[in-house]
Amino acid sequence: MELLGLSLALFGAALAAALAGIGSAIGIGVAGGAAAGVMTEDPNKFGSCLILQALPGTQGIYGLLIAFFVLNKIGLLGGAGAVALNWNQGLQIFASCLPIALVGWYSAIWQGRTSAASIQMIAKKPEAMGKAIILPAMVETYAVLALLTSILMLMGVQVG
Amino acid sequence: MSYVYTVARLRGMENHILDSAFFSRLMDSAGIDDAVKALGETSYSQWISGNNFDKAIDSEILATCEELERFVPDKGLVAIFRLPYDFHNVKVLLKGLFKVRGGEAEGRRYDLLSKLGTIDTDELTNAIETEEYGFLPYGLTDLIPQCWQLWDASKNAQAVELLIDHQMFRAMLDVAGSLNMPEVLRWVRCKIDAENLRSAVRLGRMNYDPAKALPFFHEGGNLRPDDVAKLLAEPQETWSRILSYTDIGGVLGALGDSGDMKAALSDVSKALDDYLVKVLEGAKYSMDAPENVLLFLLTKEAEARNMRVALVCVAGGLDREFGRRLLTSGRQ
Repeated sequence: MELLGLSLALFGAALAAALAGIGSAIGIGVAGGAAAGVMTEDPNKFGSCLILQALPGTQGIYGLLIAFFVLNKIGLLGGAGAVALNWNQGLQIFASCLPIALVGWYSAIWQGRTSAASIQMIAKKPEAMGKAIILPAMVETYAVLALLTSILMLMGVQVG
Repeated sequence: MSYVYTVARLRGMENHILDSAFFSRLMDSAGIDDAVKALGETSYSQWISGNNFDKAIDSEILATCEELERFVPDKGLVAIFRLPYDFHNVKVLLKGLFKVRGGEAEGRRYDLLSKLGTIDTDELTNAIETEEYGFLPYGLTDLIPQCWQLWDASKNAQAVELLIDHQMFRAMLDVAGSLNMPEVLRWVRCKIDAENLRSAVRLGRMNYDPAKALPFFHEGGNLRPDDVAKLLAEPQETWSRILSYTDIGGVLGALGDSGDMKAALSDVSKALDDYLVKVLEGAKYSMDAPENVLLFLLTKEAEARNMRVALVCVAGGLDREFGRRLLTSGRQ
């Protein structure tokens, strides 16, 4: 049963990094398509497009952060060896990873779409760059909330 | 390539579409030299040589279509826009041959052929003159022999034109249907309605017999040809009210407002063009709606139409106020 707990915790960490990372990759890809279209007509917009394209990348970073947090919690970082986890503790860690895994995955895709729309907006109105950043940043709010939830839940899990 | 890329690129290209302020300045030009100078700042300048503005305007539209075909995922979207020019070319070629067969040696008018069609004009000319229609798309393989039969039987060029127009709209519906894009199909249906109403307005002004008008109207629109033909029996001022249950009904309001027939006709025609742009305008707010391609082409076509109106007014010294009235909305 000790191995089951560890496996569940690792599975949670893997999901947090993988799903949020996949979402970010898709979101950045969508925004990148729009950026390429705009820059074909006006290469001078590279700077603005890059900022907007990078926004959906944060979810992948949040997922990675939670994965590190879990690895640290179960003792797999630092070389001290894994701590003993029962299946119940493993399940708690797994559940803690779910907010950022699911919200990160989904919000990154939608943030990518919003970023693409914002990139199209600055193609016509470059002076609206400030507003263009705020719109996709609103989606970010929910990724940050999910990150906080995952961190708070992980901090509440007692191991060792 | 995805439509996210396509639409983003179109948004960039929209910045080069000339706005109403430019056309207002163009209209104010003292003469054609001033107008050509104003065009020097635009993409049209690369095509202008001498005073052949029509050719320059066509070249600009053709270059736009060819550029779009390079990056639009579904070429059918551009084909829907270009297809009417193919049918225009078929009309020009057939009418020329009708005249030649009738004994007019100079009947052919190759100068009226448009390069904007999807079929190369030389290939189309060759196919029609050698009667080898096998490779022609859009149902032209069957249509052209039918046109010849009709001509031989009736010598009625207008009836042949209507036969060609009927097939054109059928072909547009086929292309739109094959794209599997409901909004594009809806636009084609609205275009058929607009064309039917345009014909109805003209026939109404000529006091055409409603019982004989049905062949002038095309199938496939939201309004049944029968219903459009019935309008002819009613005063034009009431058409807008009769069609108030449809989106297009309001467009006919100009018929009731103006006592000036010439102005009312141009107002309705302009309103119908604007209506066809409005049908697609919802796509403006989508970052990946394919209809944006068609919307861009229509906006470009409106720009070309405005350019033609402005240059004709300036070159011909025509009434500028009437010219301004003919300008369509285009880019805001």
